[in-house]
Amino acid sequence: MSRSKAIASLPSLPEEERRRRKREIIIIFVVIVLVSMMTYAENRIIHFGSGFPISNTILMFILININLLLLLLLIFLVFRNLVKLIYDRRRKVMGSKLRTKLAVAFISLTLLPTTILFFFSINFITTSIEFWFNVPVEQALENSLSVGRNVYERAEENHRFFLERIAYQIKTKKLLASKKTEALSRYIQVVQRAFNIDAIEVYATNADRLAVSQTADLNPSVLSFVSADNLQKELPDGSVRSFSEKIAGGELVRTIGTIPFGADGADVRAFVVLTLSFPPGLSENMASISRGFEAYQQIKLLKKPIQATYYITLSIVALLVLFCSIWFGFYLAKSITIPIMELDKGTRRVAEGDLRFSINRMADDEMGSLVDSFNKMTKDLRHGREQLELSAHMLRQQNIEIEERRQYIEIVLKNVSAGVITLDAQGLVATMNTSAEKMLDMKSARIINRSYSKLLAGQHLKLADDIMERFNQSDEDTVELSLRVTISGRPRSFMAHFTALKDDAGRHMGIVMVFDDLTDLEKAQRMAAWREVARRIAHEVKNPLTPITLSAQRLQRKYSGRLNEPVFEECTRMIIDQVESIRNLVNEFSMFARFPTAHPEPCNLPPIIEEAQAVYREGHPDIHFEIRVSDQVPSLNLDHRQIKQAIINLLDNAISAMKGKGTITITVTHDPILKRVRLEVADTGPGISDDDKTRLFEPYFSTKKSGMGLGLTIVNTIIEDHNGMIGVRNNQPQGAKFVIELPV
Amino acid sequence: MIRKVLSILLILMLFQPLGFAQEARLANIIVTNTRDHLLVYMSVQGAFREEIKKAIISGVPVSFVYFIELRRERNFLPDEDMAEIKAIHTVKYDNLKKEFSIKRSWETGEPSITKSFDQARKLMTEIDSLKVIPLAELKRGTQYQLRAKAELSERTLPFYLHYVLFFVSLWDFETDWYSIDFIY
Repeated sequence: MSRSKAIASLPSLPEEERRRRKREIIIIFVVIVLVSMMTYAENRIIHFGSGFPISNTILMFILININLLLLLLLIFLVFRNLVKLIYDRRRKVMGSKLRTKLAVAFISLTLLPTTILFFFSINFITTSIEFWFNVPVEQALENSLSVGRNVYERAEENHRFFLERIAYQIKTKKLLASKKTEALSRYIQVVQRAFNIDAIEVYATNADRLAVSQTADLNPSVLSFVSADNLQKELPDGSVRSFSEKIAGGELVRTIGTIPFGADGADVRAFVVLTLSFPPGLSENMASISRGFEAYQQIKLLKKPIQATYYITLSIVALLVLFCSIWFGFYLAKSITIPIMELDKGTRRVAEGDLRFSINRMADDEMGSLVDSFNKMTKDLRHGREQLELSAHMLRQQNIEIEERRQYIEIVLKNVSAGVITLDAQGLVATMNTSAEKMLDMKSARIINRSYSKLLAGQHLKLADDIMERFNQSDEDTVELSLRVTISGRPRSFMAHFTALKDDAGRHMGIVMVFDDLTDLEKAQRMAAWREVARRIAHEVKNPLTPITLSAQRLQRKYSGRLNEPVFEECTRMIIDQVESIRNLVNEFSMFARFPTAHPEPCNLPPIIEEAQAVYREGHPDIHFEIRVSDQVPSLNLDHRQIKQAIINLLDNAISAMKGKGTITITVTHDPILKRVRLEVADTGPGISDDDKTRLFEPYFSTKKSGMGLGLTIVNTIIEDHNGMIGVRNNQPQGAKFVIELPV
Repeated sequence: MIRKVLSILLILMLFQPLGFAQEARLANIIVTNTRDHLLVYMSVQGAFREEIKKAIISGVPVSFVYFIELRRERNFLPDEDMAEIKAIHTVKYDNLKKEFSIKRSWETGEPSITKSFDQARKLMTEIDSLKVIPLAELKRGTQYQLRAKAELSERTLPFYLHYVLFFVSLWDFETDWYSIDFIY
């Protein structure tokens, strides 16, 4: 189960882990190859000798291998860093210059003492070795050796001398003859004693010892037989040959000579061997001299190898120090430049606006605290910016709210029926709403940001200054005024409220003026008053008129025949006419007074026009009536009777103006866009002056000699009751034209 | 630069002993027989360099080791080892008596003593009539191979110097294997 799990989990290893394992395998492989190569090379180079224990050999190999591996690793690291540095410098990577400086500084700082120390050490070693070998030990040893050699040489020389004499005597006395064995022995003994030789032996050519004589000091057992081989060996030029034998009590130097002396090959008849015994002390001393000389010679032989070994070791150590210092330089440079590079990168990122960037802390030193400070700075900046963003967002929200409220207030102001004008603390016009624009018939742009003192003149300015004065001098915040002004030539009546604006601290902020156009209200009130007056007059005046007329008619009927007085006739007629005139007047008043409220209902306009003009068409044959009705005139909400009255009034006016001759053109058109029906009544009369035009629709204004001047007032009233409007303009080419617009 | 120097140093250290070893060689290998024995003659050349001479004169005992192997060649099977001989020639110079003592392991009797260096060298570098194997052990008409090589492996330097002289090879030599095929 676990195995299947492990197998299943293998492919899901992260990429990094897989790469790491691969790298480890490669490293292991490389290390194995390196160790094998190095062991092989060391095996070829280094010989520990047979006396060196195996465990020590292995230990030495391991130590050397580890050292070499470390050295190789160091070299690899150094060269890798060097190559990287050169590459970075070419690419102008940030920090590479500082790294180069630090590395060069370290190398220089290390190179100088290392080099000095290296050469000093080399010199020291060389001098020391030279000094060791220069000491006159060699000469002393050689002299000692020479003394030793002299001892042997002297012994051999003595033996040579004695051998020559002995050989001669034996030969001369023919002591080798088989019968003279005893004589030979005696002669040998005599010679041995005479020459004080430790031992003398005579050997036959077949190596049989024929005679021997030795001192009592020499143990007979140590004196061995000289072997045939030894005897048969070729003798050097000196005719004697020496060899030495180690014995328990010292050393025997034995010299072989031939009989006859210096004979060769077949001429040799016998051998004489002389033996000299060296006491143990002498022998040992000479051996010691020899050993010392040899040891010295051997060491001398090793002078150069030892020197080379020291040089190599020193070089390796010096290189190790050098590489270590370079690597340390790189490491230190890296530990400085990497945070600097990170800081540079961070600064750039922060400058670009990325405040979320933070640098990993790599060390606990000053660089670390610098990194910490940087991170803290970016964090603070980030917080600050977040706060700012929040504030900006809130401000935007508030602005939006304020703007909405402002728009709302503006809309309210725009749509409020009252005119509103505000002045700031300096008396400059701040706002003016649409109603004010309409009422005052001016554009706000013309007066905004202009002082009232420059906009107003004469009595208006005086009035304004008075109001200002009142605000300044009293604690009153509100002033109400009824104003009458002429706007665009029309007298208007306003009710104005001036309110001083003050902030919470009571400081003057400006003035708001709210005003209502009371013109129409006043007009209506006047109209109502007039109607009341008219009704009373009609009621009071009309009653006596009929008896007056009847009385005058009765006087006329009764006394006109009798008196036949033209004055009487004229007077009664005058009375009757004037009464009639008064009646008409009163009727007109009465009609005005009784003028009812309109009751509009859907009906068509053209038939009403037809009806109205029919009244006049018959009675005025000299007047040409022309009615033009465009197509698609919709039905309107009209009070049939009142509209007919209005049209009659207009026609009446037109006929009066034309003095019974001319053309009256009635035109009806429909404007579907504005949803209005336009009724135009044009005459070819003398027209209306501009002055009259302004007052035309006011009560009791008339250009006619008869009439109360209420006709057009009534028309105006009717049209206004129908939510329409009436205007007058000049007719082209002649006359006047009344234009009525009624809503559909 | 440092790298280059180091590389050269390492290469020198690696190949120096190999270079020396290639100089010594076996020559005049002769296989012959007496009535009873197979004999071999050979000599090693290029082994006695100046350093070795100096060492010997300094009293260092120097040993040459000769490896001689006789094999019977077989088809499809590993060759059969018939004889393996390790012959050791050791020379020791006596400074006191100014004579060389040469001991040849395959010779019985006393070591040869000579005052002549040339004689000593001759004795050290030559093998004469070394009995390899009794003829009775060989089959007639069979192919045999005789291989030989020589080396100087054992130094008898003072022991403490072994620690010092890691990187310095003195005068080691080792010849290649030389072989002679013959049919008895």
